[in-house]
Formats: sequence, C-alpha cells, structure tokens
Amino acid sequence: MSPGHGAAQPLAAATPGQERHAIQTPWLCLHTHSFRRSSPQSKSHDAPRKPRKRACWIQTTPALRPPPAAPPHLALAAAAGRRWMETLMVDRVHSCLRLFMHRNAVFLCERLCAQFPSETNVQLLATCYLHNDQPYAAYHILKGKKLPVSRYLFATSCFRMNLLREAEETLCPVNEPNVEISSGATGHYLLGVIYRCTGRISTAAEQFTLALTLDPLLWAAYEELCILGVAEDPDECFSESIALRLQQEHASTSTLNSATSNVAQFDTPSPTAAQTSGIMPPPLFRNAHAYQNTMSGEAPTKQKANGANQPLRRKYLDEARLKKVSGRLFNQSSDSMPRRSARLSRDTTMNSNSNTSQFGGNGTDHSSGSRYKVIDEMWTDNISVTSSSVSSVDGRFFEQDKADEFCHKTLKWQLVLGSYWDFCEHLGKVLGFLACLSARYDLGCLAIDGNPLPSDITKLISLVNVQEALEVYRKLPEPQFNTGWVLCQVGKAYFELVDYLEADHYFELAHRLSPCTLDGMDIYSTVLYHLNEEMRLSYLAQDLISIDRLSPQAWCAVGNCFALRKDHETALKNFQRSVQLDSRFAYAHTLCGHEYSALEDYENSIKFYRCALQIDERHYNAWYGLGVVYLRQEKFEFAEHHFRRAFQINPRSSVLMCYLGMALHSLKRNEEALEMMEKAITAVKKNPLPKYQKALILLDLQKHPEALDELERLKEIAPHESSLYALMGKIYKQLNILDKAVFCFGIALVLKPPAADLAIIKSAMEKVHLPDELMEDDL
Amino acid sequence: MESDAEEETAATPAAAAAAGRLKGSPELTVDADMREMAKTAAWSVSSCKAGNGVAALRDDNLDTYWQSDGAQPHLVNIQFQKKVQLQLVVLYVDFKLDESYTPSKISIRAGDGFHNLKEIKTVELAKPVGWVHIPLSGADPRETFIHTFMLQIAVLSNHLNGRDTHVRQIKIYGPRPNPVSHQPFHFTSREFITYSTIR
Repeated sequence: MSPGHGAAQPLAAATPGQERHAIQTPWLCLHTHSFRRSSPQSKSHDAPRKPRKRACWIQTTPALRPPPAAPPHLALAAAAGRRWMETLMVDRVHSCLRLFMHRNAVFLCERLCAQFPSETNVQLLATCYLHNDQPYAAYHILKGKKLPVSRYLFATSCFRMNLLREAEETLCPVNEPNVEISSGATGHYLLGVIYRCTGRISTAAEQFTLALTLDPLLWAAYEELCILGVAEDPDECFSESIALRLQQEHASTSTLNSATSNVAQFDTPSPTAAQTSGIMPPPLFRNAHAYQNTMSGEAPTKQKANGANQPLRRKYLDEARLKKVSGRLFNQSSDSMPRRSARLSRDTTMNSNSNTSQFGGNGTDHSSGSRYKVIDEMWTDNISVTSSSVSSVDGRFFEQDKADEFCHKTLKWQLVLGSYWDFCEHLGKVLGFLACLSARYDLGCLAIDGNPLPSDITKLISLVNVQEALEVYRKLPEPQFNTGWVLCQVGKAYFELVDYLEADHYFELAHRLSPCTLDGMDIYSTVLYHLNEEMRLSYLAQDLISIDRLSPQAWCAVGNCFALRKDHETALKNFQRSVQLDSRFAYAHTLCGHEYSALEDYENSIKFYRCALQIDERHYNAWYGLGVVYLRQEKFEFAEHHFRRAFQINPRSSVLMCYLGMALHSLKRNEEALEMMEKAITAVKKNPLPKYQKALILLDLQKHPEALDELERLKEIAPHESSLYALMGKIYKQLNILDKAVFCFGIALVLKPPAADLAIIKSAMEKVHLPDELMEDDL
Repeated sequence: MESDAEEETAATPAAAAAAGRLKGSPELTVDADMREMAKTAAWSVSSCKAGNGVAALRDDNLDTYWQSDGAQPHLVNIQFQKKVQLQLVVLYVDFKLDESYTPSKISIRAGDGFHNLKEIKTVELAKPVGWVHIPLSGADPRETFIHTFMLQIAVLSNHLNGRDTHVRQIKIYGPRPNPVSHQPFHFTSREFITYSTIR
C-alpha cells in the first residue's frame, strides 16, 4: 500500500496482482448492490458495451487518478479501498437513520466526517443531528457552507432554533438576489413559513404559491395559503394539466440525473426509490440497450438542454416536514420517455446507497398510489455543475456502468411490480381527491376574504359555500371520508356554522376513528363547552392528556373544562400552559384572552387577543373577543369595527351577525342593526339570540307590538328562558297591560333566574303600578 | 359549589348555637353565581404589627394572619374602584389557635368613603373555628345586594377581652356579571347560552 493511504481499509490489496481478488470479500455481500469487478482496461468509454456489473468503487477511481510517480495500480487500490470504506460508512449511516438509530448514526457519521471531510458528508452529519433533535449542532457544522442542500439544512436548523432572520438570509441571501432557492418547492415552502412568522403575508403567499406550482402535492403549502386566506381555485392547483406539465419536467430530469453521479451523493433512502424503480414496464429493458448505444452522443446534449429544468426539481427529504408524494411519480406516467424514468429509478437505487433489499420488500407495498417520501434530487445540482464534464472520460465511464446496473435492475423490477397503467390511474386518483379535499379545505378556511360585498350576495355566498363545502366533502370516497382529518374538517365546518350538534357528532366520530389525531380536538372541546357537556368534556380532556401530555390541544381541552365550571383562574393557567407549549398556536392565545375577559382583566385580554391576531390575522375568534371587550368598555365604534372584521372573515356565523347587530344598536344605527338581525335569523333558525336582540332593538325604537310578537315566537323555541318572560313583563308594563306584566314576571321568577335578576324582577313586580321613571334604576 | 377543604374540622358545641352567634364552618361554601369581588380593591387596616400586615388577609394562606396593634375598634377598609354590588363577606378565624385574639363582635359598614360609612350589619361570634359567612342581604329579595364604593369591617371586641385581634383571611363576594354585555337579564336556558358567545 502506498504510504499516503495509511488509514485505508484492510481490504486494499498489497500487490497489484492481488487487487482484483481482494475486492471480492464477504463484506461486499452486505451491500446487496450487485458488485462485480472489472478490469482496469474497461476505462475506454467510446466502445458500446454489453451490460455488465461492476464494482462500485472502481467507477470512481478514474477521478482519483494518482500522481504519475506512484505505481498506478497501488494508488488505485488504495484509493479504491478508501472510497469503499466511505461508501460503507455512508450506507451504514443511512440504514441507521432509516431504522431510527439516531445516536448510532450520529456517531458513525462523525467518524465518517473526520475520515473523509467533504461537504456532502457534513450534510449527512447535519441530517443525523436534525434527526436526533439537535438543530444547534447542525447549525454549528453547517455555518458558512454554500451548497444548496447545505443551505437548506442550515435554514432548517435555524428555523428550528427560532433564528428566523438567519434562516431567511441563508435561503435568500440579500447580496445574491438571483440565487435560486435550494431544494425547490420545499425551500420555497420554508421561506414562506419564515415570511409568515415574521409578518410578511404577501411575500409568504407568493412563496407558497411558487412552492405549490413546483410541487402540487405539497399540501402544507396549500394549507398555509388557506390560512392566509389567499388560496387559489383548487381546480387550478390540482388539475390534469399540472400533472402533465410535471411529468414532462420529470421526464427531462431523469436523463440529466442519470448522466453523472457521485458515489458519495447524499440521498436518504426511501421507499419511493423502490417504488419508482419498481414501476418499470417491460419495454424499458429493451430501450436500455438502445440508450446505451446512443449514449455517447446523446447524453451531453440532453443534459445541457435539461439543465435549465433541473434547479426547480430539487427536493429534499426533511423528516419533520414532508411526507409528500414525490413529484417524480408523475414522471412515471409519461409514456414518451420510458428510458428516462428507468434511468431515474435506477439512479436512485444506485445513489441512495441503501440496501436494495428494501426495494424488493417495499416495491409491492407502494403500488397503490398512496403517499410517498420525497426522493432527494440534490445531485441534480452536481449534475448541472458537472455537466460540462460530461464529455469527460469519467462521466461517460460512469454512465456506462450505470447502464449495466440498470439493466440488471429492470429485470428484477418488471417482475416485482405490475402495470404502469395502474400507476397512471392511481396518480389521477391522488390528484382527484387532493383537489376535492382542497376545494373543501379552502372553503372551510373561510377563503372569502375581506371585501365587503352587498348583503344579499354575502348571504347567498355564505349559504352557498356551506352547502357546497359539505357537498364536496360528501363526494369523497368512503375510505377517505372516514379518516380523522376529513371528519375533523367537517366538524370544523359545522362549528363555524354554529351548528354544534352536528359538529359534535363528526368530531366524536373523528376521535373514535383516529384517537391520536389531536389537531382538531381543541375545537371539539370548545364544541362540548358550548353544549355544556361537562362529563364528556372532562373525559375528552383526560383522554387527550393521556395521549400526549405535551400537546397544546390537550391543555386547551383541560382549560375549557375548568372554564365550563366557571373556574376561570385555573382555566387561565391551563391555557397559559398551552401557550407555553406552542407559542404559535393562535387559539390558545385567544382562549387566554377569553379567560382574562371573564376575570374582567381587560388589558391582559386585549394583549392576548392581539397576540393571537399577530400569529394568525384571520382568527375571527380573536377579532370577536376584542369586539366584546370594547363593547363592555363601551367603546362602541371599536367594537363595531372588530365585529365587522370577524364577520367578514366568517360570514356564516349567526352569532357574529348578532353581535355586530348589537354593536350597531349601541351606536344607535338601528336600521342596520335590524337588518343584521334579520340576516342572522334567516341564517340559522335554531338560534334564538338574534330574535331576542331584535326584540330589544324594537323595544328601544318603541315598537312594542312587534317586539312582543318576536318574543311570543321565541317562546316556542326556548320555553324555559327566564329573561324572555322578564323582558315581556317589562314591555307589558310599558304598554300598561299590568296584569300580563305581573303574570310574565311571575313566570320569569319561577324559571330560576340568578340572584341578580331575581332581585330586579321581584322589585319590578312590586313596583308594577308605579310609573316607569321610578323604575329606571332597576330595569 | 365552590369549596375549600380545611385542615381543622368544625367543632360545634351545642351551647354556642344560641342567640344567632356564628360559628365557623370548615368549608368555604359559596353559590356558583357569586364571585370574589375584592381583587382590584384597595385594602387598608387601622393598625398592624410588623410582619403581620394587611397582605396576610389576602394571601390565601390560612397560616398567616393580620394582627392589629392599637385601640379598638380595629378596622379593615376595602375601597373599590367603582360602585359594586356585594352580597357576602367571609372571614377565616380560629379560636383554637388564637384564643383571646379571636374577634367576638364584628360590625360591617358601607358607604361612599370614610366620611359617610353607615353600619349595615353586626354579628357576634362564639368561639368560631373556620370560615364565618356573613351575608349582607336584607330580608327583602330586593335588598340582596349592597351597592357601595367602600366597605369597612370593624372588630369591636375580642374573645376573653383581648385587646388585639387576629384575622387570617377575608373574602368578599358579589354577583357575576352577565357574560353577554348590555343585556337587561341573564340567560338561563341552554338554547340561549349556547348561542350567546363564541369561544
């Protein structure tokens, strides 16, 4: 062995002659890549070759050509041995990550980086740290690195450590305005989240839209757009044309991808690799040969032509954020470029450095068009960088080898998986239900924003949306409908409609079907609060705490429990815990605000409502809360403004309409108030409050008979409401129909009003014969 | 019903039940439609010993007490920021621990300020142990509440003719405000309450 390679592996041969034999060791069998050695003479790239297997590390030795002084074979062997060790370690790290042995992965990776310092290895180490929940470590090692993947990883670590400015700086450097965002769609998504957290809503929306155009299956981006209230038409986002466009993009991608590659590519193994490699129709096999034959001429031009497309198609597997379908899947359905898809899949198998055993196992599992993990395409970056070197000996040489590999694989995979056409169909279905879900989701997210429409149109739209939204959900296929997420969305829709019974029904179903989905459970606890279901609410709260003690939704449920029993201080403590657990959870802030409001601490409640609005400007509960506080403080214009904002965001809620009417009434704009009440009454028949408020307004306008009318009608809906009778008594008193007044007061007393009202009503009864002015104080 | 568990149990000798004298009860029992009113009020006392000041009356700790240090009557003044409706005053005293420091006659006065306080209630205590509930309402249901800016609790005399007094905790209760603002009456039925707020 040459002295320079002292740390080389024991397998490096001592003599040139033994080089080839030394390579074949038991260790090789661990890698189920089928490696076979080849002779050094096979470096000639011009001759078309028969498909042949070759040793992985030999492929790269030409790049590591030793200086002329050393005996060529020795250096080759040593370099080969080193390279081989690096590959082994990278592979082990990947398998540890895949099997969730994070500490092991970190350890091995640190040794790897010490031994073979290179930026890709550093990226791998950073990934290990991120998996092991140590974003600060990843931050430390990646600081200052410039490769796109490094930048993306660095931005992710910064984001996790809440260093938003640095994350933004990395993803989108100020002094390099034209640098493209690393990792394509997910990079844009991350940038969008950063913008949203720092309050730049419009730029955030831009980034999300961009992310969505790059990858239509990036649901998180769509979700964010809905939350911001600027979601596009779902049909546009998830249409067939988008699918076709992506297929073509990927078709061109795969050629480029296959052109050059590095053994040390960082590519997290994923089942998708298996999937894409698995779905290969038989004709590919033939085409592979044809491709190899034309390889020398074609490859460089193809690469250069497609170089432009590459930067957009980079994706990166971020374990915390993404479980999205790989855009590459679309590629599979492209009939025109089967070879490219084949190359694509083959390349991923090659470059993923993963155990191919997993392919066999997983291939059959994932043929159903369900969600996949994203494949890393970071090496496309290297491809564009090295495309100039394509014509070099190394690149061609490499391609040749891969072609061999590929053909071998194809044989395997065409047996493993069935048809290509199935996949197309499933792809269509995936897009179809995503479109459906998103159509409903954006309606659910109250995507109608800000513009004040004329009242009748608003009414139409609000009614239409409700029905439409629920219709759309019902159109979903049965298995999709019966998932926790969809049922929660339906429940939320009913909640926003103020139809608590239906909401309760759906949430209960959702919780039963998927007890570990905590996302909508805070809303569910609110629904139970409204329905006054103390037992079920406390049961839900205990259940959620037992599932995940560190989830903010669970503590919201506990807080709601206490709030229902009017123990506002304990409720407040629990909501504050919820805020502590996730400071970006807007609803927890709003609930804190409600509790402060109940404790009459208006300053703090305003503060918390404003916090909630800072996080999510379209959180109508916070707008409503602020309106109530201002109403109490008698700042009626502010109250009206806030209620109107809340109403604009959620035009379907009859309670909001009612409160807006009350604010208008306080401002003495009675006609508008009455109009609003009418709207509320027609919106939800079951809600007695608008009618009651309408009666109050009519009383104020001295229209006693109409007021009495309303109240009479209301009696049927809520026969046990003492305030109803008390009000009727008051009206009769003003009309001077004294016997009826006394009668009504009597009924009101029987219906057990609270002590304050009791006093008022009793005194009213006794003073019924006195003229009204003397009763001013009481009523 | 709101309740606080206490360490001491109520010992109620039958003899003390005479003449409407109050005995303490071990638990603080307050109606659900009442709430503590004096959190934002200004509390002051006529005199106190160092280390046993007015803060001990409001610290929710039954081991700390206020000890007066002057001539009788010993006064606790509570001034509210606006006119409030009050319904109930609750004191925690303990004859077993405090003996001659335990108040025996308490007078409650209300008014707009120090200049026009008027006595509204006088009670006598007989070796009380625990919470002593003093309702402020009159017989008439129309007089359930006292509307006042200021309340004064005067300890006129102690057990065994003690000079100074120990009081461990004082709470003041009044009605809850209507959760829906600007309404003439509270809502009582489920249908109304469900739709009365958004959470």
